[in-house]
Amino acid sequence: MKIILVDDEQKFINMLAKRLIMRGIQADIAFTGEDAIKKVRDTVYDAAVLDIKMPGISGIQLKKELKVIDSDLKFIFVTGHGVASKSESNMIEEDLYLSKPLDIEILIEDLNKIIKNG
Amino acid sequence: MNNATNFISIEGLKFFGKVNASISHEIKNILAIISETAGFLNDLTDLAKQGEDLKLSLLENCTESIAEDIQRGFDTIKQMNQFAHSVDVPIKEIKIFETVELTVKLSNFLSFSSKVEIENGDKEDKPVLTCPFLMESLIYQILLFVYESTGPDGHVLIQFDSQKKDGTSLIISTPTNFILDGFPTPDIQRAAKFLGFELNINSSNQKLDIWVPYVSKEIVALEKELQINLKS
Repeated sequence: MKIILVDDEQKFINMLAKRLIMRGIQADIAFTGEDAIKKVRDTVYDAAVLDIKMPGISGIQLKKELKVIDSDLKFIFVTGHGVASKSESNMIEEDLYLSKPLDIEILIEDLNKIIKNG
Repeated sequence: MNNATNFISIEGLKFFGKVNASISHEIKNILAIISETAGFLNDLTDLAKQGEDLKLSLLENCTESIAEDIQRGFDTIKQMNQFAHSVDVPIKEIKIFETVELTVKLSNFLSFSSKVEIENGDKEDKPVLTCPFLMESLIYQILLFVYESTGPDGHVLIQFDSQKKDGTSLIISTPTNFILDGFPTPDIQRAAKFLGFELNINSSNQKLDIWVPYVSKEIVALEKELQINLKS
């Protein structure tokens, strides 16, 4: 499984990526939406884990742009709030979202689920 | 209740909610980092149990990271506490630099905020008789307006000019021009009016000048109005 983690909280995704790699998942990181777009153009990923609130391009807008580059890409959203707001919920539609702090086992389970269902 | 009290109640509640939401978001991020780091330490322990060598440098990095984020959490809570106390007394004498600095820190919890540098040319932090909560709300709204134009990669400079005897000018500028179309919004205008602040836009150099009187007739009137409404 090859995924990309996108979040402006650098320490958070650096640490999360290390832990995923220890579990046999190839995890790349991007700190901005722009960086994520470049990486998705160059590399084929199974899924993207996107923070909803980021400076510049939001996670929701980023999903739209990444879908254009790779229509097979699957998504999981991550929110710093307890739950996604109503407007956010409407926009993330069928995608899964997880609340910070993450449970790595649930994240892996959800990644397996969306990739298998795809 | 007349206009000022209504405005402070309704707009103030919105402002309070917005700041609280951004602080809770910040705390969640801090906890998420600590949680991942603790998880990583757990992973290393599991590997060590299986006979893998445990690198001490990795452990040191993790503990340093946790200590840094605990400090970030303490700083956030300190700002949250300072902000919460700004409603203790409706009108009081505050220190202008301290209040602007706190408001900038609160606005920096927003994901789209720009980097803000505060340059205090005055050695003395001038006292201003004002409604601290409304003043914080006004500066916050203005900063949000500026951030929309400068963006998260932008840079904002705030300077103080206290050459005049009766007040201080807060000058907001950016190295690149920022768009002030639509400024001031009606809410910003009203808050400034109740505080007795003046907003001047220098369109030639795109600077925003906020005149903050040390005592204004508007603030004296607001104090009377709030006293009456708080008693009734």
